[in-house]
Amino acid sequence: MPVRITIDIFSGRENPVVELSAKESQDVLERLKPAEPLVQDEAEKTATPILGYRGLIVEQTGPQAAAKDLPARFRVASGNLVGGGMAHRASDSGFEDFFFSNKGYIKKLKDATAIRKILNQELPRAKDVRDAFTIQPLPFPIFIICSCAPLYEPAWWNDGGQKQLHNNCYNYACNYRSDTFAQPGRAAGAMYTALTCASVKPAAVKDALEDQPGANNKCPEEGHLVALVIAPNVDFHWYRKGRNGYWSHKPGSTQVTNVDNSGHLISDPRTANRGMYTDFCTFMVVKHGHIKIN
Amino acid sequence: MATSRSTEPAQYIAGASIFSGRPDPTWPIEANVAENLLALWESLPTYSGPVQSAPALGYRGCYLRDPKECEWFSYQAVVTMEMNGKVVQRRDHDRRFERMLLTSAPPDAIPAQIFDAIFE
Repeated sequence: MPVRITIDIFSGRENPVVELSAKESQDVLERLKPAEPLVQDEAEKTATPILGYRGLIVEQTGPQAAAKDLPARFRVASGNLVGGGMAHRASDSGFEDFFFSNKGYIKKLKDATAIRKILNQELPRAKDVRDAFTIQPLPFPIFIICSCAPLYEPAWWNDGGQKQLHNNCYNYACNYRSDTFAQPGRAAGAMYTALTCASVKPAAVKDALEDQPGANNKCPEEGHLVALVIAPNVDFHWYRKGRNGYWSHKPGSTQVTNVDNSGHLISDPRTANRGMYTDFCTFMVVKHGHIKIN
Repeated sequence: MATSRSTEPAQYIAGASIFSGRPDPTWPIEANVAENLLALWESLPTYSGPVQSAPALGYRGCYLRDPKECEWFSYQAVVTMEMNGKVVQRRDHDRRFERMLLTSAPPDAIPAQIFDAIFE
């Protein structure tokens, strides 16, 4: 009963696959014996596809009989087992930590170090995303909350180097990497002259952002929604609404995050803990390809 | 922004992580101020406890960098030195290092209301 494990993480690239020996397979199947059943919406949260790390797909291959208490193909995510009618905790709920550790079977991959680096960020992120899910009955037809909004891809921006250090909240909100710490209006030769809503907002309009003060946290039909807030006479800050309806932001040269100053997910920037950015200025719309910032 | 009055090129750079939209302030440090900061660092006791994390928005700490890419980062009573991947932490109960570093900033580099809030 050889086992193949696919690290389900990529969207465009092919996922990495680890082929295990018979002894290794036996070890894995022992660790993944089903323990207590999952409760409430845990199984659905585990199976819901997200961008980034989605779990390990375990497949029992070969002519020999499969482990009887496990399906031929199932998913392991955050210590949960789902698939083939199974929805249980794994007997070793830390299996993924083991698998991705220096002693784990990921070491069989040629690019194990690079994959491990990605997973260091992805594992906690994926768990947070799943924990934050609220599974509700799907309406019919199914509505995607913000179909035109950019993906939440913090790992892309949070490189600790060029992208992270030279792109600010305005770059991130506009989903536009300029590597210039973009300032509203600068590309149009009409940069703001004061750190007030009255000065920053028209500067952003010069960059071709569209002012939508009445958007009321609703996604536009075209483009995506951003929000401008001001620390009066100190600084400005931008948020962007993501495809899942939640907001994220990039405070200066620091990392992209989807939580506010209280550590809460941001469902509405008007009510988020914004620290010194006390003035909510306006919602605006970024139409992809229309704007130019620098 | 003020410049160093030393006849030698500025060797130490300081900065603070505060803003989101505007670039964060950085400034050159006078040699005598750098010497005082390093002497203060040497006097601080080593520390290995938890470090308070900064909020996403607002003041997130300040730093001193020397020409050898050694960095001292100070936030909320802990100073962390990092050089070539080596990290050393020291406790600064009274936040003297942070205060001395921030007060070396040129006028207007750090808005007064922010400066006041840092040491409230």
